[in-house]
Amino acid sequence: MKKPVKNWLLASTVATLLAAPTVSTANDDLEKLTQNPANWASWGGDYAGTRYSKLSQINAQNVKNLQPAWSFSTGVLRGHEGGPLVVNGVLFIHTPFPNTVYAIDQKTKAVIWEFTPTMDADVTIPVMCCDTVNRGLAYGDGKIFLQQSDTVLTALDAKTGKRVWSVQNGDPKLGMTNTNAPLVVKDKVITGISGGEFGVRGFLAAYNIRTGQLEWKGYSMGPDKDTLLKPGKSTTWQDGKVTPVGQDSGTSTWKGDQWKIGGGTTWGWYSYDPKLNLVYYGSGNPSTWNPVQRPGDNKWSMSLWARDADTGEVKWVYQMTPHDEWDYDGINETVLVDQEVKGKQHKTIVHFDRNGFGYTLDRETGELLVAEKFDKSVNWATHVDLKSGRPEVVPEFSTEHHGEDVNTVGTCPAALGSKNQQPVSYSPQTGLFYISGNHLCMEYEPFEVSYTAGQPYVGATLSMMPAGADVLTGKKDGTTNLGQFTAYDAKTGKIAWSNKEQFSVWSGSVATAGGVVFYGTLEGYLKAVDAKTGKELYKFKTPSGIIGNVNTWEFEGKQYVGVLSGIGGWAGIGIAAGLDDGSSSTNSEGLGAVGAYRSLSSYTKLGGTLTVFALPSSN
Amino acid sequence: MKTISTAAKCLILASLASSAITANAQDKFRVCADPLHPPYSTKEQTGYENKIAALFAEQSGQELEYTWLPERIGFIRNTLKAENDNGEGFKCDIVMGVPAGYDLTDTTKPYFHSTYVMLIAKGRGWNDIKESAQLANLPLDKQEKLKIAMFDRGPGTEWLQKNGLLEYGVPYQSMTGDNEHNIAMQIEQDLRAGKIDMVILWGPMAGYVQSQNSKNGYIAIPMQSSPDMKFDFSIAMGIRQGDNKRKQQLNELIDKNLDKIQAIITSYGIPVLPIPKQAIKEDDD
Repeated sequence: MKKPVKNWLLASTVATLLAAPTVSTANDDLEKLTQNPANWASWGGDYAGTRYSKLSQINAQNVKNLQPAWSFSTGVLRGHEGGPLVVNGVLFIHTPFPNTVYAIDQKTKAVIWEFTPTMDADVTIPVMCCDTVNRGLAYGDGKIFLQQSDTVLTALDAKTGKRVWSVQNGDPKLGMTNTNAPLVVKDKVITGISGGEFGVRGFLAAYNIRTGQLEWKGYSMGPDKDTLLKPGKSTTWQDGKVTPVGQDSGTSTWKGDQWKIGGGTTWGWYSYDPKLNLVYYGSGNPSTWNPVQRPGDNKWSMSLWARDADTGEVKWVYQMTPHDEWDYDGINETVLVDQEVKGKQHKTIVHFDRNGFGYTLDRETGELLVAEKFDKSVNWATHVDLKSGRPEVVPEFSTEHHGEDVNTVGTCPAALGSKNQQPVSYSPQTGLFYISGNHLCMEYEPFEVSYTAGQPYVGATLSMMPAGADVLTGKKDGTTNLGQFTAYDAKTGKIAWSNKEQFSVWSGSVATAGGVVFYGTLEGYLKAVDAKTGKELYKFKTPSGIIGNVNTWEFEGKQYVGVLSGIGGWAGIGIAAGLDDGSSSTNSEGLGAVGAYRSLSSYTKLGGTLTVFALPSSN
Repeated sequence: MKTISTAAKCLILASLASSAITANAQDKFRVCADPLHPPYSTKEQTGYENKIAALFAEQSGQELEYTWLPERIGFIRNTLKAENDNGEGFKCDIVMGVPAGYDLTDTTKPYFHSTYVMLIAKGRGWNDIKESAQLANLPLDKQEKLKIAMFDRGPGTEWLQKNGLLEYGVPYQSMTGDNEHNIAMQIEQDLRAGKIDMVILWGPMAGYVQSQNSKNGYIAIPMQSSPDMKFDFSIAMGIRQGDNKRKQQLNELIDKNLDKIQAIITSYGIPVLPIPKQAIKEDDD
């Protein structure tokens, strides 16, 4: 429901600032917008998802003088993921459920318009597994796109906030919800789906940008007509070469009809290469809860995908974690950069997975080039075999190999991954990727009785603890930090440097031409570090823990850095719950992660705020 | 509060300990429950858990109050362990049914024990099935005709897997976002419609499915636990860890009312087994 604009004069002035969508496709429009560093027009800053800004007014020398310039309360509690968009001077922010969108005039800091969709909280909220987060908006064709929690995809007029169209992307009755930011590609809006815990079968869908009509939909598993895999044409990396997939590869590694509740949801970030006309993303974990009960590789869960933007047809697909036993959900973002790997220039795709490996592939062909641990404490697999493309699983850390009735201890990383959804940044100046990471391991205790919607069964409990090992070497060092901020070279698979953080880093970073990288922490600090060395140059405590992404833009000749704070999400409830289930045995551990995470509540409380930073005017 | 004497404090504590039930009398009997979850609970309070809650509230002289939320992932976090919006206290205090020894809550002593049941719709060519093992030994052409529900988790699916029958399962979600049907209702509908012919279902839900059919239309075969597959579970009430006074109150009520509880549960057609001693002992730690 759109609220009336209070200041019409203000609204009309700002409206003229917005570019009229006269360009032939939204694609060109958006590409042009992202090439101007004054804007931050897409979640990744650009289609490639580099989260790199050419702005250099704030640099490694003067960032110490950074100050909060202004702030804005979103009025919503719970976890604030994603980040602000800035398009032609107007700033757009979003909130977790109820998914309010604000367009803000940067000059007056006044609300130009706001929009809150009508959603049935009784239907939607109980289906959202891990807090009611939303990862942000997309802009294109003069519209703001909001992917609502209740799966409705809504297009708003960017000038007025009036709804242009809405379309139902999924069915909450089947456990479907949405948390992702959409991506505008050509005349389409791309979106995915959440709900793997409920047995939802994941898909990527494209809707017409003007009408909201479904253009194509590609599932993560199922027969070829569902997955849009073309046998003999779509490829995967196998036996050391790009190999065409066979018929119905999306059902052949499942027993019977289990693929119908196969999972492989698509709640992460999507990127796009306009020249290759391919959309890239990752699919999530298979959803039958106990791996023993779903024999096979469970393709194409846990996979990286390249789909034709016009038709959805799969160019290539690569499964990172066949037959997942650890919940290493493969949805993390895919960054598209051109790099020289092993003496040859490639158009690469780089992906840092929950499973702890950083993957570099040729994004044209799907050839696997590099797969190395970006946290050396990772131990569930010794390495990824570059020929077969498969991880070499260590039996000791495989619950299935170990037997269901045995405790599996010290598996690294923990289920939340060496890195979760918070997107990395890439600096072409240093050639490094900047990874917001977790540094935890887990223990799997069988024989715990579980209960799902009235049915009891013998399940297992996961508990998490600090990795207690060096990121660069993997050597045990007794440390208790739960987070790392790591710089990694995806050409070679080498870690350049890594900073310890007390808590998991749950905030997406941004790298700038000023040689600075910004990220947020769970206690609520916005931090700036030197892109070359990782040296901390600045920090400021925002009102709540940060699980949002830091973005940067320019307005009236000044560079701004902005971030949503507001603790919540898995970081706020899941990690804390997993570590501290309140039972006496967990409580008695008292030290390390349990104590550390419990102390998070003494650093920060709920509440959504946008904080915008700039250098003082005298600088 | 500083002025209160140590002696007075001891007196209060002593009286609390001697009569936990009356000490809580001024509190409401606050239950966290699913508004549409037959046969467990409904907003109209027609479920067996509603009846037991009403019995307990009445006996302790407490007013019965419900906090309603669909029982899915996050249920405990959003009800029993969720603080009130004003930051004072929790939304509700008791979850009427959780497995004994459940790790998300503390649990009372168990108040009933049941088992998974294989339900087979009569008249669909399976009338000769008398025990579950027969299914595993069917000739292949017969197995291929099986229309048996297969959930995304639970011992029924484990049984199908161990007996090589996963291929023939009809997939079902253990929980959905449907606010008009719970799983028991969905299964009942689909059995009736012939979408499935059989299902391995937890006792209370199996009881519900049978109770919706007036013509005794199902063969019900209780599943037998084996050392590597557990089908029978004890059910207790869930309270917050550390809420020991309430735990004691509930344990006393359970002890006092075991026969009445049994009568309520069996009136719903739910298969009930004796509560194993071990389950009680485990829970006392």
